[in-house]
Amino acid sequence: MTKLKDKKPSKLEALKAMSPKDRNRAIGDMLMNNAMFIIIAIAVVGIWIAEPTFLSIPSIVNIINLTAAKLPIALGVGGCIILAGTDISAGRVVGLSACIAAGLQLTTNKLFPGLPVMPIPVAILAVLVVGACVGFVNGFFMAKFKLHPFIVTLSTQLIVYGIILIYMQLGTNSGQTLSGMSEAYRNFVTGKLFTVGNTAVPRYVLYSAIIAVVVWVIWNKTTFGKNMYAVGSNEDAANVSGVNVLKTIIMVFMLAGMLYGLTGFMDAARIASVNANTGLNYESDAIAACVIGGISFVGGIGKVSGAIIGVLLLQLIFVGLNYLSVDQNLLYIVKGVIILVACSIDMRKYLVRK
Amino acid sequence: MEKNQEPVLLRMEGIVKEFPGVKALDGVNLTVRAGTVHALMGENGAGKSTLMKCLFGVYKKDAGKIFLNGEEVNFKNSKEALENGVAMVHQELNQALKRNVMDNMWLGRFPMVAKGLPFTSEKKMYDATMAVFDELGIQVNPKTIMSTMPVSQRQMVEIAKAVSYNSKIIVFDEPTSSLTENEVEHLFKIINMLRSRGCGIIYISHKMEEILRISDDITIMRDGQWIATKSAKELTMDEIIRLMVGRELTNRYPHKDNVVGEELLRVEGLSGMYSHLRDVSFTARKGEILGIAGLDASGRTELLENIFGVATRKSGKIFLGGKQVLNRSATESIKNGFALLTEERRANGIFGILNIRENTVISSLKSYLQGLLLSDKKMSDATEWSIDAMHIKTPSQYTQIRSLSGGNQQKVILGRWLKTNPTVLLLDEPTRGIDVGAKYEIYQLILNLAKEGKTVIMVSSEMPELLGVCDRILVMSGGRLAGEVDAKNTSQEEIMTLAAKYA
Amino acid sequence: MEELTPKENPDQKSPPPMRGLYRNVKISVKTLDKIIIGGIIVLVVLILYGIANNGYTVTFDSRGGTDVPSQELMYGDLVEEPDPPTREGYTFAGWYSDENFRYQWDMDTNQVSQSMTLYAAWEETP
Repeated sequence: MTKLKDKKPSKLEALKAMSPKDRNRAIGDMLMNNAMFIIIAIAVVGIWIAEPTFLSIPSIVNIINLTAAKLPIALGVGGCIILAGTDISAGRVVGLSACIAAGLQLTTNKLFPGLPVMPIPVAILAVLVVGACVGFVNGFFMAKFKLHPFIVTLSTQLIVYGIILIYMQLGTNSGQTLSGMSEAYRNFVTGKLFTVGNTAVPRYVLYSAIIAVVVWVIWNKTTFGKNMYAVGSNEDAANVSGVNVLKTIIMVFMLAGMLYGLTGFMDAARIASVNANTGLNYESDAIAACVIGGISFVGGIGKVSGAIIGVLLLQLIFVGLNYLSVDQNLLYIVKGVIILVACSIDMRKYLVRK
Repeated sequence: MEKNQEPVLLRMEGIVKEFPGVKALDGVNLTVRAGTVHALMGENGAGKSTLMKCLFGVYKKDAGKIFLNGEEVNFKNSKEALENGVAMVHQELNQALKRNVMDNMWLGRFPMVAKGLPFTSEKKMYDATMAVFDELGIQVNPKTIMSTMPVSQRQMVEIAKAVSYNSKIIVFDEPTSSLTENEVEHLFKIINMLRSRGCGIIYISHKMEEILRISDDITIMRDGQWIATKSAKELTMDEIIRLMVGRELTNRYPHKDNVVGEELLRVEGLSGMYSHLRDVSFTARKGEILGIAGLDASGRTELLENIFGVATRKSGKIFLGGKQVLNRSATESIKNGFALLTEERRANGIFGILNIRENTVISSLKSYLQGLLLSDKKMSDATEWSIDAMHIKTPSQYTQIRSLSGGNQQKVILGRWLKTNPTVLLLDEPTRGIDVGAKYEIYQLILNLAKEGKTVIMVSSEMPELLGVCDRILVMSGGRLAGEVDAKNTSQEEIMTLAAKYA
Repeated sequence: MEELTPKENPDQKSPPPMRGLYRNVKISVKTLDKIIIGGIIVLVVLILYGIANNGYTVTFDSRGGTDVPSQELMYGDLVEEPDPPTREGYTFAGWYSDENFRYQWDMDTNQVSQSMTLYAAWEETP
């Protein structure tokens, strides 16, 4: 019994070796499986021709900034999708954390009258704890009662929204938009990292990169990460193999919650004004990004790089359409169709021919 | 088929079905006459189910012809077969348990209030159901919810459904495996009635007494081949067993040279909470390969699952090397040195879309930690070791496991468990779904493990395999331990008799 | 327990059970291809429609003052300063992008990036 260790022939050679019929099918498969990338590439080129400034340095930096801002939430949702689940409470958790981070950093605090500006680590700790708590609830109900992830996260979404509304009524704020956060906080997040041409790159791009590296290490280099992929791939087999399924699911959702918390922390400073609707529909962007980036609803499949590519592509196309002055309302429909098409393509990859 | 007094309803001729690498059916013939019960017999894996699946179009046959009432037919699915009067009462009932009896009967063809109106008629459905039930002497309220009825009654509903389609050929697949004696009597009454109405019945069962009692003709299969078709009157039980198992044992098994040592595992009075496992006690020794034989659903799998802690125990104790171990969960059992290779490899054995490395390391992740993080090198080395030691044929460590053959998948899982350093290996059907060549390698691996002083407990449906590989064989029957035999001085006949003890 | 035929190689015959949110998917690749292509066509049509009807509407909420006509603008355009509205008993105090009058819209530098409403601010005439 010899072990076959020789490398597979390259894709091009394999294509040449096939019969014409097989070759056509293989090419067709390749086109269909990458249809989303192809469409987006064509769209980007089209937009670039129509609006050459779209790919100017300030615009590219802007796209990278937006990608960095949306990446942590996409990574969080990505973990849930790897578990063959999903999380639609993500956007609201981002909103709640943004409100909390802002609330601790106001110079004149109407929420907690008299509260001085808290140190930044306190704000970070607060959003991490809040995110982890919501994640724990999500994970617990999903793992223990085998509830459908949509139902559990729909419930927590409502609960979190209620909490946001009550929170915004605290003190003398009566639901108004929070703004006027401390200079130190704003600078900590949006301060200049370095400049490209004449455009400043803000610090949160660096933070986002660090988060991506940490998540990569967690997913790929820890017991917990391996267990996550195993549970997502085959829960029964994971159980028999001695994986603590309950703990794994809860931890994935807690990690996701913390990532939403960090997204909120960065968003409050980035947007500089926070209200009850901050974070609304963020989860739809995150889910779309994950599916485009190859994090599959089949479960057990997905990479950090996929999430990054997904977020980047989604930002590219939406910023591009913005450049062409396409109506915002239409973009919601476009987003929905993109998710459906991306899911169909994803399904196609894992469907086996009969 | 000499006395062809009755017209032939169904004739299957020279059916061939090949799966990659093996011939599952090789020129099988089956002729069913009207008004007779035709028993189909053979060991597990002889090809009975495959033959039926070819009839119902679940599998596409590679060669051969099927004639129904003299006309050639080729059903694409079981619905088409049903509409042409060929029905099957499944061993595993596929019913909508949360719905009531009549909903299940008329599913897919609900009677309508009137043609063209989109409303179903409860009344018509009720009347039609009652008509069929009266005819068959079934006393069940058509409005009962399925899940509240015992299995026997649900089976009756399934039969009634077949009758309501005016089926001419009805296949019974192990119909009595979950029935009590009285229920079996009722079933036989119904079968006799169907026979007298001119139906052709194909009856698949392991139970000799039943077969000899109910059937007119018997067809025996072995290894995917047609062996004999004889009138039931001409056959005795011994004769049937001889025809079923009569293969020669050449060296399909490696030479046994393991040395059995002192007692390692003792199980006392093990009963399952949610299974029919009752009061099983046995011991196993170091370096021993202990086989567990029994029919399907005799509690073999449940025994292993209870020992490993993935099924809930009601009572019973487990001792390992004289010390009691609790094994409350898989994690705990692994820590105590147990390993379980599951029966349903695809359902709860492999992580199909993950690669071989991930599949290898998942049970022993802790041993690859370097500080807080997992070391890629250690994991690669472990996988490399597993690929070498198990002779796994794969392009690389990073190949998805689902693209490997069944035998290689099984070797990967075996390798996974060996990395946890188990002292007791529980193997549930380790060679199921694996071709003959790969089986030999698995046997060799099992033997090597025993030689290293590990205790191997192995469940199998294939008796020759148990006789060829094991030292002792426990025989399970109806959730209880029916007996223990020494593999060297026993016969398949003895095991079969024991297996039927509480069945 | 279903009886499997040991000789067959089940992995070539049928895939491992589908899991996750796609479980119980019963669809052929052909049908799926049609759906994907259909979806892409819808997507392209939507985008083209959006580009053909591009432009953002900036509406002016004069909040009790005289009506100000809305403007159709493109991305990056400056809003054209409209004639200031009038309201009895008040003096006009500029256009704001939020109802809380926190952000004043600077007609000379602020560029349009989406459809929006500008709100008139009023100061009571003493």
